[in-house]
Amino acid sequence: METNNQQQQQQGAQAQSGPYPVAGAGGSAGAGAGAPPPFQHLLQQQQQQLQMFWSYQRQEIEHVNDFKNHQLPLARIKKIMKADEDVRMISAEAPILFAKACELFILELTIRSWLHAEENKRRTLQKNDIAAAITRTDIFDFLVDIVPRDEIKDDAALVGATASGVPYYYPPIGQPAGMMIGRPAVDPATGVYVQPPSQAWQSVWQSAAEDASYGTGGAGAQRSLDGQS
Amino acid sequence: MGDNNIGKVLEREGFKYNFTAAASDTSAQDEVIKEQDRLLPIANVGRIMKQILPPNAKISKEAKETMQECVSEFISFVTGEASDKCHKEKRKTVNGDDICWALATLGFDDYSEPLKRYLHKYREFEGERANQNKGNNNTYENNIANI
Repeated sequence: METNNQQQQQQGAQAQSGPYPVAGAGGSAGAGAGAPPPFQHLLQQQQQQLQMFWSYQRQEIEHVNDFKNHQLPLARIKKIMKADEDVRMISAEAPILFAKACELFILELTIRSWLHAEENKRRTLQKNDIAAAITRTDIFDFLVDIVPRDEIKDDAALVGATASGVPYYYPPIGQPAGMMIGRPAVDPATGVYVQPPSQAWQSVWQSAAEDASYGTGGAGAQRSLDGQS
Repeated sequence: MGDNNIGKVLEREGFKYNFTAAASDTSAQDEVIKEQDRLLPIANVGRIMKQILPPNAKISKEAKETMQECVSEFISFVTGEASDKCHKEKRKTVNGDDICWALATLGFDDYSEPLKRYLHKYREFEGERANQNKGNNNTYENNIANI
């Protein structure tokens, strides 16, 4: 099992070390005969981002050594577990494991929600973004009762969900869609993130305002992202 | 005289009304506390959400509250599955392995593998700590024996 994890990490490291696509930057993306359509480009980009997220989480778990301090209160987690009448006893490790699981859950649902907010060119995460993320992702089906039906319908009308859980999204022609992704903060020698979690992801989210090359098209924008001249 | 009686009745009724209102407030407060216990703290949830977003991103209060609901539902959903497994296997205690199994069963494959590793590391950590405590106790016992 450990070898399997190592393989996954290596794959993740490879995925991270490569250059990331820029949504809307490739002006000639649809020009070539074999070039993928824009929505596929965004789909690919979003999947890459999620893969990168999980790769990073696997790396972080490998380096964890503090099991005493948690971002979520264990007593509250235990209370929520105990709310189920069938649950009789809970081992000490169960809330600790759930604290980490909930952390991963919040992070994943937040990323997926943010992708929806970005599609709608918003910088504020709203309830309907979470609703959209839930409807687009199969494993979040158990949450459908939490978000109102009308919000789900509104989103379904705008975006068609795919089996992969990431939407087919058609951006306006000639306009950048989604978000731009820079190279993550990875130590080239080790292939491991060198920044703390809150900072490590800031290199991933690059706003249009911060980079003049956004939406200018061509390979030049990609090269400037990769730090090449 | 009758007026006075009416006054007293009104006073009594007023008192009675106030008393019942106070009682219902207390029970309502209890319900609110129970409701809050059902959710993880909004500050903690918001802090985790912020970690993954760009610095210029904002999160609406409604989004944080929705996330709170989602997390509680996630815990209940996974716990239910883990609990069913324990019940079928005639065990009383839900442990880490049950949670990892439940996550995998419910389709959270991306979660189950890293969390198995996390659980393994936690058990190693606990084992080392137990050994250290054992060592400390032995040293203490030896010192007492020497005395």
